Amino acid sequence: MLLSRRDAIRGLTFTFGMAATGFAGQAMADAPALAWTPTALTPDQARLVDVVAELIIPKTDTPGAREAGVPQFIDRALADYFDKAQAERLRAGLDRMDADARAAHGDVFVALTPQQQVELLTGYDREASTQSQAPGERHFFPLLEDLVTVGYFTSEPGATVALRYDPVPGAYHGCVPLAELGRGWATR
Amino acid sequence: MANLNGRARKKNTYDAIVVGSGITGGWAAKELTQKGLKTLVLERGPMVRHLEDYPTATMDPWQAKYPQGQLPPDELAAHYPVQRRTGYTLTEYTKHFFVRDDQNPYTEESRYDWIRGYQVGGRSLTWGRQSYRHSPIDFEANAREGIGVDWPIRYEELAPWYDHVERFIGVSGQREGLPQLPDGQYQPPMEMNCVEKAFKAKSEARFPERRITMGRTAHLTEPTEEQLSLGRTKCQYRNMCIRGCPFGGYYSSNSGGLVAAERTGNLVIRPGSIVTSLIYDEKAGKATGVRILDATTRQEEEFYADVVFLCASAFNSAWIMMNSTSSRFPNGFGNGSDQLGRNVMDHHLGVGASAEAPEFADMYYSGRRPNGIYVPRFRNLGDAATKRSDYLRGFGYQGGASRPGWDRDLVRPGGEVAGPRGFGAARKAALSQPGPWYMGLGGFGEILPYEDNRITLNHDKTDEFGLPTLSMNVTIRENELAMRRDMQTAAAEMLEAAGFKNVRGYDGGYAPGLGIHEMGTARMGRDPKTSVLNAHNQVHECKNVYVTDGAAMTSASCVNPSLTYMALTARAADHAVKARKRGEL
Repeated sequence: MLLSRRDAIRGLTFTFGMAATGFAGQAMADAPALAWTPTALTPDQARLVDVVAELIIPKTDTPGAREAGVPQFIDRALADYFDKAQAERLRAGLDRMDADARAAHGDVFVALTPQQQVELLTGYDREASTQSQAPGERHFFPLLEDLVTVGYFTSEPGATVALRYDPVPGAYHGCVPLAELGRGWATR
Repeated sequence: MANLNGRARKKNTYDAIVVGSGITGGWAAKELTQKGLKTLVLERGPMVRHLEDYPTATMDPWQAKYPQGQLPPDELAAHYPVQRRTGYTLTEYTKHFFVRDDQNPYTEESRYDWIRGYQVGGRSLTWGRQSYRHSPIDFEANAREGIGVDWPIRYEELAPWYDHVERFIGVSGQREGLPQLPDGQYQPPMEMNCVEKAFKAKSEARFPERRITMGRTAHLTEPTEEQLSLGRTKCQYRNMCIRGCPFGGYYSSNSGGLVAAERTGNLVIRPGSIVTSLIYDEKAGKATGVRILDATTRQEEEFYADVVFLCASAFNSAWIMMNSTSSRFPNGFGNGSDQLGRNVMDHHLGVGASAEAPEFADMYYSGRRPNGIYVPRFRNLGDAATKRSDYLRGFGYQGGASRPGWDRDLVRPGGEVAGPRGFGAARKAALSQPGPWYMGLGGFGEILPYEDNRITLNHDKTDEFGLPTLSMNVTIRENELAMRRDMQTAAAEMLEAAGFKNVRGYDGGYAPGLGIHEMGTARMGRDPKTSVLNAHNQVHECKNVYVTDGAAMTSASCVNPSLTYMALTARAADHAVKARKRGEL
């Protein structure tokens, strides 16, 4: 698994590194165009969510968040599911990511190098773990990471490729070697 | 309207009326129609047809509208402030099987979690399906200890009816030969997983009196000809039961009792019929039928029959009786004892222990078993060894072992993030594998009958139909609190004995109603002065009205009650048919 992680990070560097390092001024223009139209997110926020979701659950030997439609899932959650306070918390988090990126590196988050992006996310992850997650106090990063996680593992690629899914098992076997199954079950 | 004459009256006349179509209404309908009675089932909610009306039963996770099918916080707060309290029953997949609280008000003088499903099939669609017999000890306990009143029946009188019910609904389970948990007619038990088997071996070695068995559950593992002929098939281990089962793998009124009743040609079901009161004929000294309010047209109508079965659930059957006043019954129907609405019981839960099981990291399971293990009651069994000085009665544990899935590090409501979780390929790979094994035991404890644990009719607060509502005043007392301390300690002891790590006892608190086993509001007894129903579930003061749902219970036992409700109903229906034939009703 470590190998594939390294591969994944190398892959990201290759994909986005050129834009961020070689043509910093054009970074926004070169960020991957969205193949969908957000309803609750602004186009800029949607691009940010797209990049962050793929950093949280990258494509490895199984599909990543982008391929699984996680950014769209998050847009839908913002539109239909979240209450006002949660939605504001998430949007404030997205704003903060760009503000932090500008302060540290002079450009918006999606324009940074993958390494710079990972560093920022690592900081948020560490910061959140020392903070109460009581309703109304939730740090934006776990909120966003949870949404990406749920969106991914409940997507068809997430449930059926990254995990195992069996809509009608037909029987229960209580002691099966994990090696025979290979992955965790998508539903319980 | 009201007071129909001639042809119109005849059109609305049946041999029997059953109020409610849930777990007991379905049984009353089946037994009465199969014994030849033209039977009208009145259900306040809409029709739910088996197979046709399970809209979410085959939805895949990615078809959910909301994350994990959870309803938006705004919708929960506006419409389901009570129904959401279980934390697990109310989702996008199930909300059509639960009431909207804003449309079905009641008053909580003390907190009461009244979880309801108003539709054909009632809560038999969404029940937990655990099916245990009350034991001889349960039927004798009140008399022996001087609590409440004595049950007017003993185990032996109900045993053949338990047989009858188990054979029809199909219960999978393991025979154990225990006096405190009588064996029944079982289809093959489901399988324990590796960790449960190891737990059983090690815990029983240390605590032999704490038997560990497979949960007895109303699922088909080896269907009978009769069950197959009704269109039911084997449990497919999908564990999506609460959405309605397209295989008829578990028992519900919709897949079982009502289907059998319909096939007799003697059944009429009228959904959308809110029974508001019993009609009492002072001269004849018996009930002649019921009044309803049509939920759609809001018109009143009357239906007539020789015999009426109240199967509307403990609180709503009591509500109908409390709302049925006359000069004969100024304080509610059959309420000369003043026991109507009193002695509310439930099972207290939310206490136990959990632990991490270090072995079997290379083992997993396939299929989603809709069942767990069961530890039958092992306290206060009548001998010195099991006697507790700190409380009466006892509890059982339901539990199981499993490996948490991809959602194991999500932040729970009000919870914390367990350290930096990381992100990226490493976390993705880790979450694609099952987590470590966990084993949990959760107690279900008996609540004693207390006269002042009661529901009352509240005319000051009416619902959308202008009908009076209920007020709840129910609390648990010292006996239950002392039992809870033991429930937590004993569970932890067993997990320790199995060699598990990080054993954590918990008492997450309990609010009355959360067991969703409300009962006792029209108890059976020997004396009309101290009870509402007799040994055959007849109202002492009006013999052609039978109450056979949870209202009838004289004590609660610690086992899940639906099987007993069904057995009481089948027994009462048999009595009613014979008594009617003899001209006694």
